[in-house]
Amino acid sequence: MSAVISTAGELTNGQVPLGEAVAFWILGPVSLAGAIGMVLLRNAVHSALSLVATMMSLGMFYLIEQGPFLGLVQIIVYTGAIMILFLFVLMLIGRDASDSIVETLRGQRWAASLFGIGFALLVALSVGRAFKGSKPVNLNSATTNANGQNVNSIAALLFTKYLFAFELTSALLIIAAVGAMVLAHLERETPKRTQKEIARERIRSGRPQPLPGPGVLSSHDAIGTPALLPDGSIAPESVMASTPGVRELPALDNPDNIR
Amino acid sequence: MSHLLLAETAPIHAPSVAYSSLSPIFIVLGAALVGVLVEALVPRAERYAVQMVVTIGGLTAALVAVGLLHNTAETTVAGALAVDGAGLFIQGSVLVLSVMSVLLIAERSVDVGSAIVASAAVVVGSPTDRRLARTDRVQTEVFPLLLFAVAGMLIFPISNNLLLMFVALEVLSLPLYLMAGLSRRRRLLSQEAALKYFLLGAFASAFFLYGLALLYGYANSVDLPAILNASKASPKSDVLLYVGLALLLVGLLFKAGIAPFHSWTPDVYQGSPTPVTAFMSSCTKIAAFGAIMRVLYVGFNATAWNWRPIVWAVAIASMAVGGIFGLTQTDLKRVLAYSSIAHAGFILVGLVALDKDGIASVLFYVLTYGFSTMAAFGVLMLVRDADGEATHLAQWSGLARKSPFVAAVMTVLLLSMAGIPLTSGFIAKFYVFKAAFHVAAPLVVIALIFSAVAAFYYLRIVVLMFFAEPPENGPTIAIPGWSTAVALTFGMVVTVVLGIFPQPILDLAAKAATLVG
Amino acid sequence: MSAVLAASHAADVLPASSQNAHVLLASSQNVAGFGNQPLWIVLIKVLGVFVFLVVMTLFAIVFERKVVGRMQNRIGPNRVGPWGTLQSLADGMKLAFKEEVIPLLADKPVYFLAPILSAVPAFLAFSVIPFGPEVSIFGHRTPLQLTDLPVGVLVVFACSSLGVYGVVLSGWASGSTYPLLGSLRAAAQMISYEVAMGLSMVAVFLFSGTMSTSGIVAAQQHTWYVIPLFVSFAIYAISVVGETNRAPFDLAEAESELVGGFHTEYSSFKFAMFFLAEYINMVTVSALATTLFLGGWHAPWGVHAIWSGANSGWFPVIWFVVKIVAIIFVFVWLRGTLPRLRYDQFMHLGWKVLIPINLVWILAVTTIHVLRDRGWPAWKATAIPLALVLLLVVVPALMMLEGAAARRAADRDDEDEADARLTPTFPTPPMDLVVPSPKRLTTASVHPPTSAIAEGEDPDG
Repeated sequence: MSAVISTAGELTNGQVPLGEAVAFWILGPVSLAGAIGMVLLRNAVHSALSLVATMMSLGMFYLIEQGPFLGLVQIIVYTGAIMILFLFVLMLIGRDASDSIVETLRGQRWAASLFGIGFALLVALSVGRAFKGSKPVNLNSATTNANGQNVNSIAALLFTKYLFAFELTSALLIIAAVGAMVLAHLERETPKRTQKEIARERIRSGRPQPLPGPGVLSSHDAIGTPALLPDGSIAPESVMASTPGVRELPALDNPDNIR
Repeated sequence: MSHLLLAETAPIHAPSVAYSSLSPIFIVLGAALVGVLVEALVPRAERYAVQMVVTIGGLTAALVAVGLLHNTAETTVAGALAVDGAGLFIQGSVLVLSVMSVLLIAERSVDVGSAIVASAAVVVGSPTDRRLARTDRVQTEVFPLLLFAVAGMLIFPISNNLLLMFVALEVLSLPLYLMAGLSRRRRLLSQEAALKYFLLGAFASAFFLYGLALLYGYANSVDLPAILNASKASPKSDVLLYVGLALLLVGLLFKAGIAPFHSWTPDVYQGSPTPVTAFMSSCTKIAAFGAIMRVLYVGFNATAWNWRPIVWAVAIASMAVGGIFGLTQTDLKRVLAYSSIAHAGFILVGLVALDKDGIASVLFYVLTYGFSTMAAFGVLMLVRDADGEATHLAQWSGLARKSPFVAAVMTVLLLSMAGIPLTSGFIAKFYVFKAAFHVAAPLVVIALIFSAVAAFYYLRIVVLMFFAEPPENGPTIAIPGWSTAVALTFGMVVTVVLGIFPQPILDLAAKAATLVG
Repeated sequence: MSAVLAASHAADVLPASSQNAHVLLASSQNVAGFGNQPLWIVLIKVLGVFVFLVVMTLFAIVFERKVVGRMQNRIGPNRVGPWGTLQSLADGMKLAFKEEVIPLLADKPVYFLAPILSAVPAFLAFSVIPFGPEVSIFGHRTPLQLTDLPVGVLVVFACSSLGVYGVVLSGWASGSTYPLLGSLRAAAQMISYEVAMGLSMVAVFLFSGTMSTSGIVAAQQHTWYVIPLFVSFAIYAISVVGETNRAPFDLAEAESELVGGFHTEYSSFKFAMFFLAEYINMVTVSALATTLFLGGWHAPWGVHAIWSGANSGWFPVIWFVVKIVAIIFVFVWLRGTLPRLRYDQFMHLGWKVLIPINLVWILAVTTIHVLRDRGWPAWKATAIPLALVLLLVVVPALMMLEGAAARRAADRDDEDEADARLTPTFPTPPMDLVVPSPKRLTTASVHPPTSAIAEGEDPDG
C-alpha cells in the first residue's frame, strides 16, 4: 500500500491526495478516449455517446475538485438535457446517418488533422510549461467553499461581479427562442381541422371507407400496381400519383398533399 | 442539524448600477422586448408599421441618451462596464448607422414586401413559398432581432470584463446569424450564408472562450484592468498571457472580418439580404473594432511590444487579401466584402499607434467607413433586374447612360472608399496613417501601396459604369421609397461633408479618445 | 462502453470520497456526519440499500398486480407462495432463464449498453436518500443514509436524467420501428417533465435553505413541506409520473400503440433490467417525494405526541417505508383509473400548464421569503404576495379559460344547429328505430359464469 502511495505521490507531484489522483488517472483516460472517439467514430450516435462519456468525466472532475454543484449541473444539463436532444435529432434523421467520406477540397482532411494536432500540441505544451512548478491551491478555504458553501459562492459571484453578464444571458435566451420560431414555426393560415370536421368531411365525401391498397385483385402487389375494381377496371386512387412507373393517372388534386 | 442550514452565509450585496450611464443599452433592450411582444400581440396587418415605430423610436431615444452622456467616464456594475469617451463615440456611431439600416430594411417600394423574406420557415421553392413571395407579408421578427444585435453592439465595446464581452459577442452574433438567412430573393444562397456564418462564428466564439479561460488562469481574473496589473508585475510565466491573447484575438478578428479570419465575409455578404449586409458591414465592424481597441489598449497596454507584430502581420495580410482578391471578383457584393476586409486592415494600422491620436483616428475611420459602405449597399438595392438585385459587374456596365445620378452617387462612395481627396475616406486614411507613422513607418508605407492597389478596383467599377457599353437587357433602376432616399442622402452627404469639413467630427473624436478601465 | 465506465465509476467515487477522508480526499464539501465513516459501515449501507431496492421491486410488482386486480374485481396473482407474494420472484427467475433474442439489425454495443444505463443510475440515486436518523450499527453511531452531499437532491436529479439514456438508446439500438418511436417519445417526454420536476424542487430549497437531503428532512421536523408548498408537491407528483413513464403518461411504452415501446425487442435478462429500473425509479421518486415534502423519516402527526420514541432509533425506517408504499399505492391507483393521454395533450400539460404555474409559484414563494427577511409579520408577508398572484395571474387566467370554453361551446352549438338543418348524405337509421333484442344474448346473461375465474395474468405485470 505504501509503495502505491509513494508511486502515486511521484505521479502527482506529491501534493494531491491519493483518492483524487486515482480518480484522475481513471477519469482522465476515459474523457480523452471519449473525446477522440467522438471525432473518429463514423456512426453519429456512437460519436454522441463518446461525447457523453467525456462530459460525465468532466462532471466527476468537478465533483472531486470540490465543486459538487458545478459537477452535478454539468451532468444534469449537458449529459441529461443537451446530449439527449442531440440524440433525439440524430434518431429523427435516421440510424444510418454517418459521415460522408468524400473530400470536397483535396487534401483538406490531412491538412486539418495536421493543424489540429499541431494546435493541440501547442496548447498542451504551453499550458504545461506555464503551470510547471506552480503549486495547486486549496479550494477549501473556510470562508468561501467549506461546508456546502460552494453553491453560495457561485450565487455571490453571479449576483455581484458577473451580474450584468448573467442578466444579459436572458437576452440570449429570448433571441434563441425568437430565432427558433422564425426558422421553424409555420404559421397556420386556416384554422386547424378538428377531428369532428375531418370525420364529417369523410362521411359526406361519398367515400367513407379508406382508399383501396395497391395491387388489390390484380396480378401483382407492387406499390405501383393499381388495384382492380370488381369489373376489372383500374382504380386510380389506389396508387399515389407520385409513384414512379404509374402513368396516365389523374393527379390527386388535394392541396393537403403538397406540404 | 442546524449546521446544515446556511445561517452563517454572509449576505450578498448587489453592486451599484449607474442606470443613467447604461440608459442607451436599457432603452434598446427594452425596445427589443417590446418588439417581441408586438410580434405576439399585434395583428399582422399593423405589425410592420408598429415595429418600425418601436425600432426607430428606440434607436433614436438611445442615440439621444448617448448624446446626453457625452462627458461620462466611469466604470459601473462592479467594474464590468466602462462607459467612457471612446465607448460612447462607438455607441453613437452604431446607433446612427443602425437607424440607417432600419430605413433600408423598411424599403418596400423597390421589391414587394421588402428585402426580407415573407416567412423563413417555409420550404424554399414550395408552392407556399412562391405564393408568399408575391404578397407583401414580411418576417417582422427581423426588427426585434436587429434591436437585440444593436444592444449587443452597444455592450461589446464597453465591456471591461472578458466574460461580459463574450456574452455581448453572442448577443450581437446570434441575431446576425438569423438575419443573414432571411433574404427574400435567392433564399438558398441566403440560408447557406447563414449556416456558414453560424458555424464559423461558433468556432470563433470557442476560440475566444478558450483564450478567456487561459487569461483567467494567468491573471486570476477576467477584468481587463486586473489582467493589465498582472502582466505588469507577475512572477508567473507569460506563456498563458500570450496564448490567451492570441486565442482571444482570433475571436475578435473574426468578428471584424480581418484576414486570415475573413473567409466567411464574401459568402455571407453576398447571401444576406442587402440591408442586413449593410448593417453587418458597418455596425458589426465598428463594434468589433471598439472591442479590439479596448482589449488591446486597456488589458494589454503593458505588453504592447508583444502584440504589435501580430497586429502588423494581420493588418498587412488583411490589406493584401482585400486588395488582391477583390480584383478578381465579378459580383459587386463580393467586391464590397473584400473592400471591407482591406479597410479592416487600414483601421488596424491606426491601432498600432497606441496613443490618443491612434484612438481618435480609428474612431473617425470606422465612422466614415460605416457611412460610405452603408450608402453603397443602399445603392446596390436600387439596381435590379427580374431576379432581384443585379449585382454582377457586367450588369453595371454603362449604368451612367441609364441613370447618371445613381452612377454619380456610387462613384462618390467608391472614391471615398478608395481614399481620393475631397471625400471622407481620404481624411480618415490620412489621420490613421499620420497617427501610426511615428511608430510604424514601414507599415504605413505598405498600407499606402495597398491603398493604391485597392483604388484600382474601385476605379475599375467607375470606368465600367461611365465608359462601357450597357448590356442588351440590362438592369433597371428602381425609384427608391422615402426611407431608402433618406438613408442614401444622409450617407452620401456625410461622406462628402466629412471630406470637406471634417474638423468638427475630428475634434469630437479627439475629445472622445479616452478609455477608462 | 466508456459511458458505462463513467456511470459505474460514479457509483464508486461517491462513497469512496467519503470513506477515508483524511487519506484519500480531504474535502470540506462533505456534509457533517458523512465524511469519515469507516469502510465496513459504508459496505454494510451499500448492501442494505441494494437489498432494500431489490426487495421493494419484488414487493411493488406483486403489490401493483394485487391492487390493480382488486380494482378490476379480480383476485390477482395467488399461486406462488403465500397469497401469491412470491409471484414476482418466480417471474424474475423465469425471465433470467429465457432465451435471448437479439434483432439482426440491432446496434450491438449500444443494445447491450442500454439496459445497464437504465438500471445503474436507478440504484445510484438511492445513495443520498435518508432512511432514518443517527443509529448505532455494531456500536458505531452513524446516520441511516449511505452518503449525502451539500447538493444531495441534485444527485437524484442527475441520476434520473441519466436514466433517460437507457430508454432512448434501447429504442434506437433495437433497429426496429416501434421501439424507435417509443424512445423518441420518451426523449421528448422525459426532458419536458424534468423541467417541471426540477422547478418544483426549487421552492423546497428556498424553504429549507439547503439542497442536502438530510438537511431538508431535518428542516421538516415541525411542518412537512406538503402543507406550505402544496402547489410544488402537486406539480412534483404529476411530473414524476411522466418522468417514470407510468400510466397515464406511459406513452413511451404504450402497449396499444407501440407494442411495448422502447423495450419491444428486448428479452430475457436485459428485459428484466428495464423492468427492475422502472420499479426502482418508482421507488426512488416516491422516496424523494417523502424526503422533500412528506417529512422524510419523521413520524406522522400525533404519533410523536403519543410515543416520544417514534423519531429515534430504528423506528423511523417504518414511517419512511410506509410513506413510500402509500405513494406507490397512488401510482397504482392512477394506473388502474386513468386512460392514457394523447401525446399532444401530454406535452401541452407539461409545457403550458405545469411550467408556467411553477414559475409563478416560485416567484410568489421568493417574494414571501424576501418580505419575511425584511421583518414583515408572517401573515402579511404571506397573504399579500398570494393575493397579488391571485389577482394578477390566477383570476385573469381563469377568466380567459372560461371565455375560451364559452366560445368553444357556442361554436359547438352553432355547428350542431347547422348540422341539424342539413339532410345527411350518408344513410342513417331513423331516430325512432327500435332494435329488437336477440334472444340468445338475453338467455346467456342469466346464467352465472361457470368456469372459475383465472388469475389475472396481466401482460404488463
